[in-house]
Amino acid sequence: MVRLLFLIIISGVLLELAACNLEREVDITLPEYESRYVVECYLEPGQPISLLLSRSAAYFEPFPQLNEDFLGKILVDSAKVAIIYNGVEIPLENRLIINPLTQKVYNYYSSAHIPYDTINPFELSIATKDGLSIHAATRLLPVVPIDSLVVQFAEGDTLARLLTYITDNTTRPDYYRRMLHEGSLDSIPVQDFATDDRLAEGTIVYGTRFNYEEGDTLIATIFHIDKAYHDFLESLVDATGANGNPFAQPSPIISNLEGTANAIGIFTGLTYDRKTVAVSR
Amino acid sequence: MKYLLFLGFACSVSLGLAQQQYILSGKVVDGDNGETLIGATVVAPALGVGTLSNEYGFFSIALPALDSVEAVVSYVGYQPQYYRFYLRSDTAIQAALSTGVQLQEVLVKANSYREQLSSTEMSVEAVSTKEAKLLPVLLGESDILKTIQLKPGIPSGSEGTTGLFVRGGSSDQNLIVLDEAVVYNPNHLFGFFSTFNTDAVKDLKIYKGGFPAPYGGRLSSVIDVKLKEGNNQKFSGSGGIGLIASRLTLEGPIQKGESSFIVSGRRTYVDIFTRAVNRANADKEDYTQIPDYFFYDLNTKLNVGLGKKDRLFLSGYFGRDVFGFDNAFFNFNFDWGNATGTARWNHTFSPRLFANTSFTYSDYQYNITNRITGFSFRVGSNIRDASLKSDFYYEPNNQHTIRFGANAAYHQFTVGRLKAGSDDGLVSFSAGQDFAGLELGVYISDEIDFSERFSLNAGLRLSGFQNDSAFYAGLEPRLASRYTLTERWVLKASYARMYQYLHLVSSAGLALPTDLWYPSTRLVKPQRSDQLALGVSYLLGEQYLLTWETYYKSLDRQLQFVDGAQLFVNDRLEEEFAIGRGEAYGLEFSIEKKQGRLSGWIGYTLALIRLSDFEPVSPDGRFAQESEGFGAFSPIYDRRHDLSVVTLFELSRRLTVTATFVYGSGDLRWLAPGRFTFQDIYGASFEAVVPDYQGRNNYRLPPYHRLDLGLVLHFFPKWGESDLSLNVVNAYDRRNTFFIYLEPEYETVDGTDGNQIQIPTRISAKQVSLFPILPSFTWNFKF
Repeated sequence: MVRLLFLIIISGVLLELAACNLEREVDITLPEYESRYVVECYLEPGQPISLLLSRSAAYFEPFPQLNEDFLGKILVDSAKVAIIYNGVEIPLENRLIINPLTQKVYNYYSSAHIPYDTINPFELSIATKDGLSIHAATRLLPVVPIDSLVVQFAEGDTLARLLTYITDNTTRPDYYRRMLHEGSLDSIPVQDFATDDRLAEGTIVYGTRFNYEEGDTLIATIFHIDKAYHDFLESLVDATGANGNPFAQPSPIISNLEGTANAIGIFTGLTYDRKTVAVSR
Repeated sequence: MKYLLFLGFACSVSLGLAQQQYILSGKVVDGDNGETLIGATVVAPALGVGTLSNEYGFFSIALPALDSVEAVVSYVGYQPQYYRFYLRSDTAIQAALSTGVQLQEVLVKANSYREQLSSTEMSVEAVSTKEAKLLPVLLGESDILKTIQLKPGIPSGSEGTTGLFVRGGSSDQNLIVLDEAVVYNPNHLFGFFSTFNTDAVKDLKIYKGGFPAPYGGRLSSVIDVKLKEGNNQKFSGSGGIGLIASRLTLEGPIQKGESSFIVSGRRTYVDIFTRAVNRANADKEDYTQIPDYFFYDLNTKLNVGLGKKDRLFLSGYFGRDVFGFDNAFFNFNFDWGNATGTARWNHTFSPRLFANTSFTYSDYQYNITNRITGFSFRVGSNIRDASLKSDFYYEPNNQHTIRFGANAAYHQFTVGRLKAGSDDGLVSFSAGQDFAGLELGVYISDEIDFSERFSLNAGLRLSGFQNDSAFYAGLEPRLASRYTLTERWVLKASYARMYQYLHLVSSAGLALPTDLWYPSTRLVKPQRSDQLALGVSYLLGEQYLLTWETYYKSLDRQLQFVDGAQLFVNDRLEEEFAIGRGEAYGLEFSIEKKQGRLSGWIGYTLALIRLSDFEPVSPDGRFAQESEGFGAFSPIYDRRHDLSVVTLFELSRRLTVTATFVYGSGDLRWLAPGRFTFQDIYGASFEAVVPDYQGRNNYRLPPYHRLDLGLVLHFFPKWGESDLSLNVVNAYDRRNTFFIYLEPEYETVDGTDGNQIQIPTRISAKQVSLFPILPSFTWNFKF
């Protein structure tokens, strides 16, 4: 909330400053930067395995143009990628996949489907063509169901809010990613953040502002995530949020990847519950 | 140390046996209003002995029994007073000095520097409220804390703020005391204004090193602010009307010459205009309400004489910043501020022994309340102290000034107290930690004049801190010495060890009112510093004092947050701490001219500060598990060069022109040298540019420089005095960097499914400045 407040203030200040011509473009020289491998791999029960291996770039390095080999400039090919599960190595083929449903792009793929196994670990092994290694391990977590979605209208108003209730297991630390979409999952999420259960006493409720009218469709998703993914998402928020907010403390990306490549990214399981509700009185 | 004290006592006894001596003691006050004068000179010229009035205006000097002894009491800017005594017994006087035509101007001017040269004190800076009121300032609000930032070795924080980073220390390493009560947050409006209303302040002094033994509890500086005592001669008032705030101070005698009061208040009034704008636009659909913001502060003091030997002072401060936003669904309030109270008793046991005992109370808190229909949320932190302190001044003879005393402070901390829940009771959660701690100190010091050339102030302080889980104690030796090479050249050296038991836990960004004070615990050990300083002073003519000082300071157990720290509402905050060490060194130079129509100073600092060797406080914290740690780095306030030029030119009785120019190497910032694209999962937004932060504080901002000009027109109406102060801050419209951010630019293209997608095309660096050329005016009055 405090961060939000200062973000509001800073946004206001920036608008004012722009009006007073107190903001201008400058040439700066940033410290040397060595490009790093970036990994994104989400293991979803019942789904094939997809992995995106790309590279980071110096901040001011020109972006590839659309008319050139756009993806080829970003993606990293020719790496040996495998998932190890129950002692079995599942190799991932280096080919470009565009999921027609999600519009997400991956460059390593296996048609092997991930089992819903919350006990045994999944391991990731990547050997890049320049001889570097990336390793990681994760487990799937049990789905935490959404107990209920409650639509509440403001007194004497036509606008409503949505409350999403879940029951937290108070005997262990849990981490969640909360998402809320209006209309469809293709839209920009209305809410998307990671939380933990430090303050929870059994029931966790996620609320919204009074923003919704009768007839609106809301899709609530609760991902049950591990600490590594939670910390990774938080560091992502801190890293992006600190750029432009002088009061914020930036954060390096906290990855769960190991190996000689010094890669950044995340290798994690993805279990979730999703419910849809139509706003009505 | 013991040997030195013994030697000092032995000398005094032998001198005492040589000739019968009597004590001339008393108090030095301003004859116009009864305010005590600190550091006034009391000299017997024919005998070559002298002393200074202490921080309570009290002095004591042993003089030989003679039929005619002449003593002169003087203070810079005042007419000296001459006394002739037939000295056959201890004698007490009250020297009431007055301003006006300075018949002995040369003597007074010379004295002001001779005091500095003859003292063992070094690394001390002071500014007068007169200077603070005349110098040009942001939006016309005179600010003594900002004025002190113009002195060498005290670089300010970011643009316009009152943060102080003394000799490489962080902003929490300053002990800021207002009438002996600790002020934990000296800022209004995120540091753009200080909590000290210049109308109510009598004196501000800052110790950057060579700390006297009575002071402890912070590593890098002591900022001692004293409130006025109130005019005990006549009822008077002063105040001002400025662009953003107005001030009013009333003071007067309760019993003429004996007791007095002062009440001083200040409030900003921008909120009055913003509320009017909000009301005028309330019916507009797209109108975004402007939040309310204002601050105020109130100072009061009672000064009561209880006979010839006793005096009682009661003073208090209360200040608040209030930020609020309120509409049909959303009710948000954020307030923060300090409250302090002091009850102080001065007692003169004998002409040789003076005591000051004080009970102080300090409270700093912030509270955030938020209510969104059906849900409420409240979070706050607080530090509260009750402190008792006694200081004794014992002057057995003219060669020794012994100070001893003790203090005990009971601290109560509430850290991140949160309560939130729904009206129906279905959801309820709370968090927060409470701590208590007892901080103790006992000290003794002796200022020994071995000869006219050499004097030494040797002190020892024993401090300790106790809370539920830990007890810490430390010996803090203090040494300061002076060696006079010639009448004009003086060498000084000092060493001080300091312990700090309370820590302000703030992010690597700029300071916020929500930064937390946290006690030393079993895992969080007290900070410690050792500072060695060497100095040379040279009196050029009678008007200019040149001072060089160089210092080295080692800093142990410095606190930082680990990468990705969860700072807000965290009951396991210690897991987010890392502790390391640091070292700071530098060179300071100043040339100062206090008197005459043209006065001012030039200060230059060359400094370096480096922090390193950070380790997690908690072995179970995530720093230990997941971060590779952070290597050596410099804090954002590591400023290599810092120059300030301050001039005040009294063109005539009616017109004073002032100017300040500052130049500093750019501060450091933590910018990401790299970026990557993050696709994320289905349903989430694609992040085309995610910063990849690496080593901390890796980018130096462009140099900072600014010229401020002021013009003060003085008027002398029948009812008193007034002046119109015209300021132009940032006179040549320099766009200094407040912060830099990196902004991607996007091109919208058609995607494969017919949707439009945004592709980043280039990244530009944007520099944000805080203010352009900024004229302002303030009308001040005094009656």
